[in-house]
Formats: sequence, structure tokens, C-alpha cells
Amino acid sequence: MFGRISGIARNTFREAIRDKVLLILLVFAIVVMGSAKVIQPLALGEESKVIKDLGLGAITFFCVLIAVLVGGRLVYKEMEKRTIYIMLAKPVRRWEFILGKYLGLMAVLFVSMLIMTAGFYIILLVSGIPASAYLLWSLLMTAFELAILTAVAILFSSFVPPIASAVFTFAVYFIGHLTRDLRLLAAMSPSAVVKGISEFLYYVLPNLSNFNIKGEVVHDVLLNPQALALSALYALVYTATLLLISVAIFRRKDF
Amino acid sequence: MSTLVEPVIRTVKLCKTYRSGFRMKRVQALSDLELDVGKGETFGFVGPNGAGKTTFIKILIGLTSPTSGEVRVLGKSPRDAQVKTKIGFLPESPYFYEYLTPSEFLHLSARLSGIPGQDVEVRVRYLLKLVRMEDAAHAQMRGFSRGMLQRIGIAQALVNDPELVILDEPMGGLDPVGRKELRDIIIGLRERGKTVFFSTHILSDVEMICDRVGIVIRGRLVNTGRLSEILTEEVESVEITVKGLTGKFRKVLEKVTQQSIRSGDSLFLTVRNEEEVERVMAIVREARAKISALVPRRKTLEDYFMARIREAERK
Ligand SMILES: Nc1ncnc2c1ncn2[C@@H]1O[C@H](COP(=O)(O)OP(=O)(O)O)[C@@H](O)[C@H]1O
Ligand SMILES: [Mg+2]
Repeated sequence: MFGRISGIARNTFREAIRDKVLLILLVFAIVVMGSAKVIQPLALGEESKVIKDLGLGAITFFCVLIAVLVGGRLVYKEMEKRTIYIMLAKPVRRWEFILGKYLGLMAVLFVSMLIMTAGFYIILLVSGIPASAYLLWSLLMTAFELAILTAVAILFSSFVPPIASAVFTFAVYFIGHLTRDLRLLAAMSPSAVVKGISEFLYYVLPNLSNFNIKGEVVHDVLLNPQALALSALYALVYTATLLLISVAIFRRKDF
Repeated sequence: MSTLVEPVIRTVKLCKTYRSGFRMKRVQALSDLELDVGKGETFGFVGPNGAGKTTFIKILIGLTSPTSGEVRVLGKSPRDAQVKTKIGFLPESPYFYEYLTPSEFLHLSARLSGIPGQDVEVRVRYLLKLVRMEDAAHAQMRGFSRGMLQRIGIAQALVNDPELVILDEPMGGLDPVGRKELRDIIIGLRERGKTVFFSTHILSDVEMICDRVGIVIRGRLVNTGRLSEILTEEVESVEITVKGLTGKFRKVLEKVTQQSIRSGDSLFLTVRNEEEVERVMAIVREARAKISALVPRRKTLEDYFMARIREAERK
């Protein structure tokens, strides 16, 4: 079982790293992070915060982009190209296939994040900004957020074409960061329909704003470990649920 | 133990209806298909395009579920992962991960099939050699020709040394040399007691290597049997060429025979049985003409096939 899952995961990883899209995104991310250095007319203290903020933001943004673009066609492409016939004709269970794909993409994201983070710290060093490890907490939370988002991408990818899947996943990401506003909307709207929809979205969509602690780490605000642990747990439960739904859909599928 | 007596493939009243398109139009791809394939048989599943061959094979692999009916492969449900360890499958017009090389792909296949790590390398080398893809073993499959992909497909189908090999249009995309090589591979499998089930719309493939064939037309299995049985069920025909006939006898002959074509002073006749041959000979003798050729024509699979298709169309 582990051999099969890791086989599929490794293949997914290999596919992604041999794809030009990933390379282009990585190069672009480093360029964006470095560009902060070019924006000069800022006070010294300000500059360091801007570079940190931009760097963390860029890493998150590009990781999300990878999750959405690569994840969005992960399963669908296999169905479209019919490579899935070969995979499922082997003693691979359908849930193993989904889990392998998921873990493969997570590995891709992990390595991408590692590369971007290395680039980020080099930029900090070159700029003479003290590179504190405290910033890594923000990236850890981003990793949990990506765990959820990748599962969302896989779920969509198992039944809609890549472009639709990318759009939907982005929408989930976007609205996921606005869930507090959704609740507000639900409370304030006089219309029962709007109330119903926003409440539904609030409970169904992942609450992603908890994973954004960039402001705190950049401004050296003390973090609340309990809140972080709770967010991590939330991410694991949410991800597991999404994967279970994907597997349930996938098992019923006719190819 | 039960697998020894139970057929390798068994379907009972297998039906598959697709619903497709905007209006969910129904397409009955398989109707009450009943088929048993025994251990060690090489079975050819023959039918025109759209007959339901691929659908049937997808059900055998567990890629698609039947709408109704029963299917057992090696005594179990095709969705059982355990069964897959003993099956090899080549899909129609196979396509693989184009960013992989054949060697990497076969390694992956071996790994997914549960082949022990230390045996993988040897197995992959053997397979690359078997399908003559050693030279391209380390090139990415991007841009491989259809025939090359077909060869890789055959290699991956055999990666686990399967008991049952299921091939969907295995000759597709292969050149004559490739087809000959594949026939040899199939014959080799048969000699080792493996069961081979393959679909095709090319009849000559079947005539050369199958123990038994099933003919499927519009989702119905119209006949199964040994080739010799299927073909002798039909009456043979005899083609007779007569020379030196006078007008009067020619008219007589044209009347008694099924089909006649005149060409110069020769008359080509087609008759259906020995009785008719006797009658023609008697007339020829009486006319003092000469029989210059008498060719018994055995029914070919193609004739049989065409007749069944015409029958199906009339219905
Ligand atoms: N996924 C599908 N959705 C709808 N119709 C299908 C599907 N697959 C096959 N069919 C239809 O089922 C019939 C049998 O197809 P198929 O099994 O591919 O035939 P063959 O392999 O013998 O050429 C055809 O009429 C085909 O159009
Ligand atoms: Mg077909």
C-alpha cells in the first residue's frame, strides 16, 4: 500500500518538476521578492518591513498559484489522457491513487516553498536585514493553508476540467479569506436568501484567514501557540474530509 | 481452488447503457452479453467499430460498472485489487506520461504491481527487450509514434507476468513487423498456459492465433466458438470455370446455378453444394464442354462476419 501510494506520489512530483510552469513560477517568485529592494525611497525601518511582508506574501501567493494551476489538472488530465486506465488496471485502489496524487502535489509545494524561502532569506541577507527565524511561523501556517487548498483543487479536479477547477479553487481561496465578512453579511442582510447563502458559505468553505499571520511575524507581535495549534488541527480535519469526499466521488466514477 | 474449475472470465446477462450528451441520450453498448473464457485460452473478441468491445473490456478491468448483469474475473469482482495482481491490460490507443521515459514508466508499473524491488530492474530490461524498445528506453515518451506507444503498452501489460492478459486492439498502430512480433508474444503466452483475451476488428489477426472467437455486433454476442466450428456451420461454395460452351447449354447452366459470370468463351459459376456441382458436371459432359477450374471456396471469417453484420442491419 505505501509502495503504491509513494509510487504515485513520486510520479506526480516528477511530472510537476519536469513541467516548465513550475520553473517559471519559481523564477517569477524570486524576481518579485527581489523587486522590493528596488523600491528605495523608504525609511530604513520601513524598508525591512516592506521586504519581509512582500517576501512572505509572494511565497504564499506563488504557492497558491502552484496548488491551483498544477492541482487543478492533476486528476482530470489523467482521465483526459486516459493514463488512468493503466493506473487503475494495476493493483492500485482508487483511494490510493487520490492520496498518492495529493501527497505528490504537497511534496511539490513543500520543495517550492523551500526554494522560495531560501531565496527570500538570501534577499534579506543581501539587504542587510536581520533574518529572524520568527518569520518561518508564518510559512508554517501557509503550509497548513496549502494542505487545505490542495485538497480543494483535487476535489474539483476529479470532476471538472482544469480551467474551471482553477477558477473554483481560486474562488474558494478568495472567499475563504473573507469568511468573517460573510458572517457579518449574514447577520446584517435583511434578505433571507442572502442570509442563507452567506451562512451556508461561512460553514462550508474553509476559514483561511486564521492562517494569515504575516502581520504578526513581520511586526514581531507575540503569537498565540494555542490558536496556531487549533488552526493546524482545523487544517488536518478539513483536508481529511475533502479527501474523503474526493475518494467517494472517484470510487463511483465510470471511465 | 474454485478458480481451477471456474472460467477465467465469466459474464452473465451483462448490459451497459451509456447516457451521454446534453439530453442524456441512451446508448445501449452491451445487451445481455454472456461469455465464458477458460484458462489457457486465446480468445479473440471480434466486432466492427462501435460494437461494444472496449466497453466490455473496461468492465472486465473494473474501469466501468455494468448497468446490470454479472461479471467475474479470475473468480472475483473486477474491482477487487487482488485480482489486478494477476491481470495485464493494454488499453486501446494507449497513452502514457509523456514526461517519463519507457524505462521510468516500466519501473513505475513494476512498483505499482508489487514486484519486489530487487527484481524490478531485471524485469524492466527483459520487457524492453521483448518489445524491442531498448534503444528508446531513456528518451522521454513525448513525441513517440503510435506504434512505439503500443509497444510500451504491451510491455507494461506484461510487467507482472499476468495469468490473464487483456488487450484492446493490440495490433493498432503496429507495422507488419510489429504485428508479427506481437503474434509471437501472444503465442508465447499461450504456450506458457496464460489466458489471452483480445479485441480486434481485423479478422486476419484472429484467424492466425485464436483458439476461439466471439463475434460481437451492436453490443450482442452473435456467436462464439472455435474458428473451425463457426466456419463449417456455413455451407461452402465452389467456383467452377467452364470453357467451350454453346449458347443453349450456357442458358441451362445459368439457370441452375446461383451465380454466373460470362467472360469470352468462359463461364464462371458459383454453386453452393456438392449436389449442384454434380448437376453442373453432368450438363458440361453432355455439352462436351470442358471444366478448366474447380475451386472449392471455404467460407472465410470475413464472409461470415459480413453476413452477420448484414443480418443485424436488417433487424
Ligand atoms: N463513455 C461513453 N459515453 C457514451 N457512449 C459511449 C461511451 N463509450 C462508448 N460509447 C458508445 O458505446 C458504443 C460502443 O463503444 P465501444 O465499446 O467503444 O465500441 P468498440 O470498442 O467495439 O469500437 C458506441 O456506440 C459508443 O459510441
Ligand atoms: Mg474499441
